[in-house]
Amino acid sequence: MTSPMISVQNLTKVYRVPERQPGLGASIQSLFKPRYRDVEAVSTINFEIEAGEMVGLIGPNGAGKTTTLKILSGLLYPTYGKATVAGFRPWERSPEYLRRISMVMGNRSALNWDIPPMDSFHVLSKIYKVPTSHYQRNLEALIELLDLHPLLKKPVRNLSLGERMKCELVAGLLYQPDILFLDEPTLGLDVAMQRRLRQFLQIYNREHHVTVILTTHYMADVTALCPRVMLIHHGHLIYDGALQTLAKKLAPFKLVKLQFSTTSTDFKGFITQFANTERLTSENGHHTLRVPRDNVAQLTAKLLETLPIADLSIEDPPIEAVIDQIYEEGRV
Amino acid sequence: MNHQGGWELIKNTWQSWLQHRGFFFLLAFGWMLPLLVYLFIWSAAAGDGSIAGLTQETLAGYYLILILTNQFTYATTNWTVGDTIRMGQISRWLIQPMSPLFHALSAEIAGKVVFMLFSIPVTGLLALIIQPQFNLTWSQGGLFLPAILVAWVLRFFWGYWLALLAFWATRADSLLTLQDTFIFLFGGHLAPLALLPSWMQPWARILPFRYMSAFPVEVLTGHLRHNEILWGFVIQAGWSLTAIILYRLVWSRGVRHYESVGG
Repeated sequence: MTSPMISVQNLTKVYRVPERQPGLGASIQSLFKPRYRDVEAVSTINFEIEAGEMVGLIGPNGAGKTTTLKILSGLLYPTYGKATVAGFRPWERSPEYLRRISMVMGNRSALNWDIPPMDSFHVLSKIYKVPTSHYQRNLEALIELLDLHPLLKKPVRNLSLGERMKCELVAGLLYQPDILFLDEPTLGLDVAMQRRLRQFLQIYNREHHVTVILTTHYMADVTALCPRVMLIHHGHLIYDGALQTLAKKLAPFKLVKLQFSTTSTDFKGFITQFANTERLTSENGHHTLRVPRDNVAQLTAKLLETLPIADLSIEDPPIEAVIDQIYEEGRV
Repeated sequence: MNHQGGWELIKNTWQSWLQHRGFFFLLAFGWMLPLLVYLFIWSAAAGDGSIAGLTQETLAGYYLILILTNQFTYATTNWTVGDTIRMGQISRWLIQPMSPLFHALSAEIAGKVVFMLFSIPVTGLLALIIQPQFNLTWSQGGLFLPAILVAWVLRFFWGYWLALLAFWATRADSLLTLQDTFIFLFGGHLAPLALLPSWMQPWARILPFRYMSAFPVEVLTGHLRHNEILWGFVIQAGWSLTAIILYRLVWSRGVRHYESVGG
């Protein structure tokens, strides 16, 4: 049996945060008697990730997602617990380890802003000791895949956010790391660019069998890329499994959308025949019902049989609504 | 050690800095001015005679070489180290398989080239105007080279370990201002060592600041006897070693304390 690529046991990170009351008096007082508070950003989390898996690490702002990634990439020392990535302890930051990982952050740049990206790529190839022939091959493949040719001669500061993000991905992948930590890579990008980056990551993962942990606030990223999600809330890992299972578990209902052929149809009495069914919206003859999954077949059959239906569709509730529900309640 | 990566980084930083050469030339000009002011003050004090054995011409020679030495040993990079820690920008270097020290060194070396592109011709022009007097010998020149190189090592690592205190105190760069003040007082900027008050001279000989700036100038201009040069090198090497040890100590502790804010 092979050991997992990433293994985390009881990982905990506590930050010591200075705090004071607002106002001049409090600020003078804090000069002489500073106060600190311990904040547990990550609390005894456990998980394992196999080589080649793409896992979405999701949670509200301040949940501990980025702190977890920073520990795994070696940027932070944990307060307690163990973590091994590819057999290394990340925070020892051995050069052999750092050559096997890449961390791409949507809000941080690995590129020098004053010069064209090609110059930064060249420096990175030397820092990561990529043989020239491999560097040329990897670079050409990435440039082709991301359609980067028109951008290579412009200084990075003159690139748009989406163009820069493409270059960040090249910088993070040109030495072919085995493990990729992506911290909100689609942050601030337009829908078309988000879709292109997702397609790229899918292809790259399939071709190179790279292990990926992705943090994001866009559920479209997760649904497109990650068969498995880990949901973190207030530093605790509260769900680890398939996204669809999570949706079913949290939203044991479906949305039935219908339109009547006559505008005056009243179906209030009809709804009361089914337990736990409610009308969510009614507008211009279009209605949305929330129906328990087990009742959907029976309800739609009876609808079609007894009422003048012009159009009908059955949908899962949007994943954003499911996730929002967890963020609100703090539990699965 | 990844020398090839380090060398590429230096070239890369140099290209980047040359984009802003106007800014760096102005910065270099700003550093020259206080030393020129002190040259004119002491020249006026010396008048047609001399002061503590220094004539107008020898003072001009001292200060012109000091201008170049100061530009060479001034560690500009250290002023940005604190910000990179405070703002979390050092994170991108920490996850690269090369010590972040290389980034500081590359900026230093690239910076020297950019600053010297301005300082050498301007100092040469000043020399033509104010006619300094030098008594240069080959042996003084030979000793000047290691003295100025170690002066840079000492000034860089002393400032670097102070800047790394930003791992704990958010505005540790104020300590760099203090370092510059001590260099101004004890490092031969305010006055050549011979002109300092007698109570200050022993302190200047013991503290590290003279060895970051004035010592190479004194070696080159022939102001020191053989045993003074020898002791000067011993003290300079001792302080350099201390600075490197302090850097390693603060770095290893600081990285554990790093909170990588932002993102």
